[in-house]
Amino acid sequence: MIKTEILQIITGFLGSCGFAVLFNIRGKRLAGAAIGGLLSWALFVLLGYWIASEPLRYFIVSVTMSAYSEILARLLRTPTTTFIMTALVPLIPGGSLYYTMAHALSGEWTDFSGRAIYTAQLAVALALGIVLTAAVMRFFVRPIHRKRESKNDKSTDKTVSADGNQ
Amino acid sequence: MNEYLSCVMNIGEQMLLCGAEVHRVEDSLQRMCSAFGAVRTDIFIITSSMVATVMTPEGESITQTRRINGGGTDLERLHRLNDLSRRICHEKMTPAQIEEAYTAILETKNYPFSLECLAYAVIAGSFTLFFGGNWTEAAISFFVGSLIRFVVLFVDRKVINKMFGKCIASFAASALAFVAVQAGLIPDIDKIIIGNIMTLIPGIGLTNALRDLFVGDSITGLLRLADAALNALAIAGGYLLFMCTLGGMTL
Repeated sequence: MIKTEILQIITGFLGSCGFAVLFNIRGKRLAGAAIGGLLSWALFVLLGYWIASEPLRYFIVSVTMSAYSEILARLLRTPTTTFIMTALVPLIPGGSLYYTMAHALSGEWTDFSGRAIYTAQLAVALALGIVLTAAVMRFFVRPIHRKRESKNDKSTDKTVSADGNQ
Repeated sequence: MNEYLSCVMNIGEQMLLCGAEVHRVEDSLQRMCSAFGAVRTDIFIITSSMVATVMTPEGESITQTRRINGGGTDLERLHRLNDLSRRICHEKMTPAQIEEAYTAILETKNYPFSLECLAYAVIAGSFTLFFGGNWTEAAISFFVGSLIRFVVLFVDRKVINKMFGKCIASFAASALAFVAVQAGLIPDIDKIIIGNIMTLIPGIGLTNALRDLFVGDSITGLLRLADAALNALAIAGGYLLFMCTLGGMTL
């Protein structure tokens, strides 16, 4: 059991690396993006010990990894998408989408609708997590943003890392 | 102001083409326009079009629109565009300076093709293992993945219709997997396809579509959702087409 899970974490990490290269992420940001992929599936597996519902686990991982991405994005001064898109690669419901499609093609309509709803649940859980975290982060970060601009942009880097730690 | 606005629109257009979120681009453009002293800025963006109207302090209003065609994901370029937009907000840059910085950004390089092939192969191999394939299947999937990159290259260059392109790529993946099955290397086609389809399937598109919907960019969200659905359909079509070509052959 443990062995397959470790294998999944490693392959999830490699998959994230692959996508990071396809998305043309470079340097420090590449490392951050790849590590995000590793952490997301590790967290998903870990949560499996307490929570059985996969969509719920997806949601929690999505919230956590979005927070990771938002913080890292502020530290490295880059758009958040860079880390979110790669960190969530192992969670992307591609496999589920494939089975949905396969059921449709073989005319197994009951299985198809079950799978389709399940895929939608996963995607919604992911998207909700991202949006929720972004909203919460903005709630904290906005006021500081404004203060910085009025301070005539003296020490941008320092203020930004302070933002990130909020 | 007209020149400024056109520079700003250039940046926004490129951001969208690099895969930025619509509300982020709107926000960036808004900030840049205010930095130039626009009294009022109205920006409306969807994935395929941009409209911006700015009101100058003199009370004149200027409108520019752009049609956005295509688009992929290039996060290095996006990063640099983001930096530029931040600089524009903080420093007073002349249109000529912005233009120069912008042209420099357009020359951002992608990773070399060989590395992209490797990335496709690694993604395909990894996800075959991830979804429970064994090592032989992963190795074949790795190999097939790198070939798929060539198919995608061909399709990008020669096939104008994107959906049809996806269809061809998916057909090729199924065919290659089938060859491996016929050669007696593996029992079934499933795991190879699942690994290879990860590079094609719009899983990211689906998630982004929903994210846009929840953020409140309803039109963009719906456009992306339709796009993701059509892409999934195209991939399914490729697979189906292959199965039909086989006719009654069993796997």
